Amino acid sequence: MVTNTKEVKGKDICVQRVSPEEKRELAYKDDVCVGCGICAKICPTEAIELGEIGAIERTGVDESKISIDEAKCVLCGMCSSACPVDALDLKLDEKSIKDMAEYPQLIKSAEISDDLCIYCKACETACPRDAITIARILPERSKLVTGEIEIDKDTCISCGICEEMCPADAIEMEHHEPTSSDPTVSSDITVNKDKCVYCLICRKSCPVDAIKAVCRSCSYGDYDLNPEDSETTGSSFIDEEACVNCGWCQEICPVDAATVEKAFEGELILNQEKCEACGACVDICPCNVLSFPEEEFGVQGDKLQADERFCIYCGACENVCPVEAIEVKRTAVKHTPTKSKSWEKQLSELKT
Amino acid sequence: MVELKVDQDKCLGCGNCVVACPVNGSISPEVAGGHGSKTEDTIMMVENGLIKLFNPQKCTKCGTCPLFCPTDAIFLE
Repeated sequence: MVTNTKEVKGKDICVQRVSPEEKRELAYKDDVCVGCGICAKICPTEAIELGEIGAIERTGVDESKISIDEAKCVLCGMCSSACPVDALDLKLDEKSIKDMAEYPQLIKSAEISDDLCIYCKACETACPRDAITIARILPERSKLVTGEIEIDKDTCISCGICEEMCPADAIEMEHHEPTSSDPTVSSDITVNKDKCVYCLICRKSCPVDAIKAVCRSCSYGDYDLNPEDSETTGSSFIDEEACVNCGWCQEICPVDAATVEKAFEGELILNQEKCEACGACVDICPCNVLSFPEEEFGVQGDKLQADERFCIYCGACENVCPVEAIEVKRTAVKHTPTKSKSWEKQLSELKT
Repeated sequence: MVELKVDQDKCLGCGNCVVACPVNGSISPEVAGGHGSKTEDTIMMVENGLIKLFNPQKCTKCGTCPLFCPTDAIFLE
C-alpha cells in the first residue's frame, strides 16, 4: 500500500505520495502564508488545521501557521487552488497544478504598466508586503540646466566662500598652506560643470567679483535643452510570491499604472461594541486594512477603522479576533472554470 | 498545542495582562477600565499580588497579554 510521507523543514511542510504511476507533492511555505485558514475550510478530509495565528504572529510562538495531517491528506490539491496567496502548491510529477488548465485557479493579479509608470515609488512605499521594487534612473542634472561660468583666477583670493556657499557642491579648491618658498594661500579652483546649476550664488557671494556666471535656462532653455533629457526612466518589479493582490498599489498610484484583480468579493463588518481594541486583527491583516487612528494629541485611539479598498476578504482578522467583533463575508469567489462538480461546490462554499 | 501559561516567580502583580486581555474585557467590562473583576469568570486575575489563571480554557491565544507583560510572566507556549 502506498502511504503519504511528511517532511518538515523549519516551518515549511511537504506531504508526498510516491507510487509507480505518479508522484504527488503538496508543499507549504510558512513565510508566504497569511493565516487566513481558507485551506482548512476547503480541505475535504479535514487534514489541515489552522494554528494559533495570534500567538504565532504576535508573540513569536515557534510554530507553522497551519498543520497538515498526512494520514488524512489525499493530495487532491483543493487547498493549493483556493489559497489566495499561493502558500500551498500541489505538484503532480513535478508540475504544479497552478499551471494546468484542468485545475481551477483563483483569478487574481497585480500588474504595473511600464508605459504609464512615472517611477514615483508611491506603490513601493505603500505595499504592505514589500513586494514592489521600483528601479529608476534619474536624468543627468547638467542636461536640465544651461549657462556659463568662469572664474578669474588672477582676481580670486582663495577665500573659499564660493566653495562653502555652492549648494550643488560644484566648486572645488585645493587649499594651499603658505610656505617660505610660496608664502601665499593661492589655491587652484575648479568648477565641475556636471554639477553646476548656474544658480549664481557663487557670483553673488564672491567678495572680489572674480566669478563671471550667467544662467541661460529661462531665456534660451527651449533651444539649449532637450525635453527628453529630463525624463526619469526605470523599471518596476512585483514579487509574485509576496504579493497578496491587496490593491494598495492601484489605489495610491497617481497615474493609474497599477492594476489589481482580486479573487474574492465581499464585505468586512466591524462590531465596535464587541471590539476590545486588542489589536490582534491589525497585526494579522496582510493588507494593512485595519487601524486604530490616532485621536487628538497623538493619543492612540481605540476605535477600529477599516479601509475596505485594500481588503482581500481572506478572513485572517475574523480568525484571530478573540471576541468575535469582526465578520468577513465572501460574496464571490472568482476562479477559472472546472468540469469537476465537487471542486466547483467546495470553491463556492468559501462564500459565506 | 499552544497554551497560556504563567510564571508566578516572575510576576510583579501589576495586572497589565488582566486589563489588556480582550476576553476579560468582554466578560467583565469593569476590568478593561482598570478595576477589579466582580466575577471569577475572567481568564486571569491578580490574587494576593500574583497572577492566577482562573479560566485558561477561555483563552483564544490572540497574543495580547504577553505584549503588555513587563516581565514575560505570562506567555503562550
